[in-house]
Amino acid sequence: MAKRLPHRRVVIVGGGLCAALISRQLTAQGVDVLVLERGIDHANGPAARLPSQRDELRWAQRQGLMQNWQRETYTLRHTRHEESLPVRWMGAFLPGEGVGGAASHWNGQTWRWSEYDPALRTRYETRYGKSAIPKEMPLQDWGTTYAELEPYHDLFEKLFGLSGKAGNIEGLIQAGGNPFEAPRRDEYPQRPLEITEAGIIFKAATESLGYRPFPGPAANSSGTYLNPDGQRLGPCQYCGHCERFLCEAHAKATPDGLLYPLLRTRKSFEIRTHAQVLHIDYDRQAKRALGVRYLDLESGEEYQQPADIVVLAAFTMSNTRLLLLSGIGASYDPTARHGVVGKNFCYQTQSGVGLFFRNRWINPFLAAGCTLTAIDEYNNDNFDHSALPFLGGANISAGVTNGRPIRSRSTPSGTPRWGTEWKKANAEWYAHSCGVGAQGSCYPHVENYLDLDPVYRDIYGLPLLRMTFDFRENEVKMSRWVTEKVGEICKAMAPDIMGPVKGLQGPFDSRVYQSTHVTGGTVMGADPRSSVVSTHLQHWDAENLFVVGASVYPHNSGYNPTGPLAALALRLGDDLVRYSSRPRQL
Amino acid sequence: MSDEKKPNDRRSFLLQAGLAGVASLTSVALPAGASTPDTALIAKTEPAARSFHSLGPEEAAFIEALVNIMCPADQFTPNGVDCGLAIYIDRQLAGPYGQGDGRYQSGPFKQGKPELGLQLPLTPEQFCKAGIAAVNLACKRDNGATFDQLAPAAAQAVLEKIEDGRMTDPRLPLASWFNDIIYALFIEACFADPMYGGNRDAVFWKMIGYPGLPATHTIDMVRYRGKPYPGAQNPKSIGDFS
Repeated sequence: MAKRLPHRRVVIVGGGLCAALISRQLTAQGVDVLVLERGIDHANGPAARLPSQRDELRWAQRQGLMQNWQRETYTLRHTRHEESLPVRWMGAFLPGEGVGGAASHWNGQTWRWSEYDPALRTRYETRYGKSAIPKEMPLQDWGTTYAELEPYHDLFEKLFGLSGKAGNIEGLIQAGGNPFEAPRRDEYPQRPLEITEAGIIFKAATESLGYRPFPGPAANSSGTYLNPDGQRLGPCQYCGHCERFLCEAHAKATPDGLLYPLLRTRKSFEIRTHAQVLHIDYDRQAKRALGVRYLDLESGEEYQQPADIVVLAAFTMSNTRLLLLSGIGASYDPTARHGVVGKNFCYQTQSGVGLFFRNRWINPFLAAGCTLTAIDEYNNDNFDHSALPFLGGANISAGVTNGRPIRSRSTPSGTPRWGTEWKKANAEWYAHSCGVGAQGSCYPHVENYLDLDPVYRDIYGLPLLRMTFDFRENEVKMSRWVTEKVGEICKAMAPDIMGPVKGLQGPFDSRVYQSTHVTGGTVMGADPRSSVVSTHLQHWDAENLFVVGASVYPHNSGYNPTGPLAALALRLGDDLVRYSSRPRQL
Repeated sequence: MSDEKKPNDRRSFLLQAGLAGVASLTSVALPAGASTPDTALIAKTEPAARSFHSLGPEEAAFIEALVNIMCPADQFTPNGVDCGLAIYIDRQLAGPYGQGDGRYQSGPFKQGKPELGLQLPLTPEQFCKAGIAAVNLACKRDNGATFDQLAPAAAQAVLEKIEDGRMTDPRLPLASWFNDIIYALFIEACFADPMYGGNRDAVFWKMIGYPGLPATHTIDMVRYRGKPYPGAQNPKSIGDFS
């Protein structure tokens, strides 16, 4: 029997970025908060100090900071007519495990999405007519606006000391920034990171083609920085060990570096590590969450943790799975087109072209997670789709983020995979190659969804989450079209050798890292028939249960998902302060 | 992205792949036309550790032959054994990776599309060893000798047949054995930090010009942008700072 613990005001599941931001708002007002994190605190461990931090095998290849797939993985099938199998070692995306979550081992690319992203259905219908959105593409507005989130974007960027160049300050387009940027009230807190050699080549080429390149917005600190909470960032070392690593220089802004140290000084805050939440206790009659059940991974003891307010702030997949395991809300059924939990599961549409310059020193090891130079002319709906057979688009960038030798070497097509010729190609091209990538939107499809697997279980005996996912026609066509544009840019960069210009090819491959940007499953919206949570992230079937994270996005944009996710979490923190003093439907 | 990471493109490069890189096994004289090892590199390299923690004698002979085919002694590096590649593979098989640490291992075990990943009820170590036995069996059947006894050109041909799926086994997915286990280990053996036993004297880092640690490049980022980086000549590893 689970041991019943003393009652708490707010219990948050998952000790990552969202939990930290919500806790910051709540504990500032003295509201009692308990965060339950399944992993450990890596802050003083080998991942966070030299020389052991610089170990590509340990942290990147062997996923030293990631979810333990032996305990819990996901099953996959490309269509619902196939049999799902467990992904026994996930390569495609990497949820974190430990304080800070996936935002402890991220690269730090922090975009505000397009101003129209929260009202995307309205945008497309207004611009291209109602029939422009295919019926199998359940795009939906978020029920909130960019303007409502802007103050929280601003706050988050100041907390994380972002480095960048504004492109649009209160409607005025700024030279050198992204002219397609949603309007912001201020310049970025810090100047942009240093441009890479690849960025210089890309910038010249895109300018010659009439595009407006700009430095990518970075949570890698370009200088020393003191945030509004009195927390510090050191200057980036351009060591090329960001994504999959912790930052020993405290130059990469993370929740474990900037937020949890502050929270630990606040009396009303507590975080419990080794706490694996298995279930949300739910009173169906009263439509209320009663608390959570978790397993103490150190003692093996199971606990019942009652709470007035429960917040799911775990990784995209875990938020969805916990609702399904707890029977809260109807599981999405693609046949009947009924149910909401698990729908609108999206990913990120990636493609790229490799470039080789005999006489340019790219030096890929002089880089950081966000050293990218980008253009946004072909992202999302920044261009006219009226004559195009797809919706959405991609951010295009020369993004040299590291030169780690196991994974980040490039050789021209046709190079043998071993032997002297292979060595020769590596020796010739390692310091002289880069890529131009397209990071594209991924819109929902009625046949892409999450539910519980009928066969496979985790180490605790609970059903695994099942992904039914593939890149559908819209994304494949979008990728092909945008990648042609990438090819034109690459030609203008005049490399000695250029790789093949190919858009994303299906099927979705769990073995190949693409990005950790899985979204949807517990989507937000104004209508309970098509969303799991309200526009204030309040569960429609439990007033005191809230869900936050990329799982609430009804679609994925052509950007990394962290920006709006952080803004939503900060806003939720403020909403919960109000809710805590007067519980009601927000 | 290089072809190393793109199993789907294997066929296209195979058509273009010359076999110029074929070189010696430790016990066999250099074939005519093969590159001469860099004696300076060899001289710096101490005798490789030869006590294996996972591989048995026949398995060790197989892996040593394999790494010497995939990494012949040439102007870039000593042969694979002298680079520590076999020791790296052995240590990884004996360690957490080989024992399946972090891999989902529950049944039922059914085979499916390759994009869903390996589905065998074997740990990487067991799969590696089962593959070695299967390839040796096929080599005896086709060539009358185990893999390690083959002449370099024949051994190279066997690897190519396995890699692109032309050599099959009734029970084991040999292409996957090579591409997902053996090849991945080979690449790691070459490019992981030397403390893991491969990449001896950071010879592969030197070859490509990866400077290694400490990688505190705040000033370098500007000073050496677009220029040769001097530290690339003399890479430092974790051991140099421990």
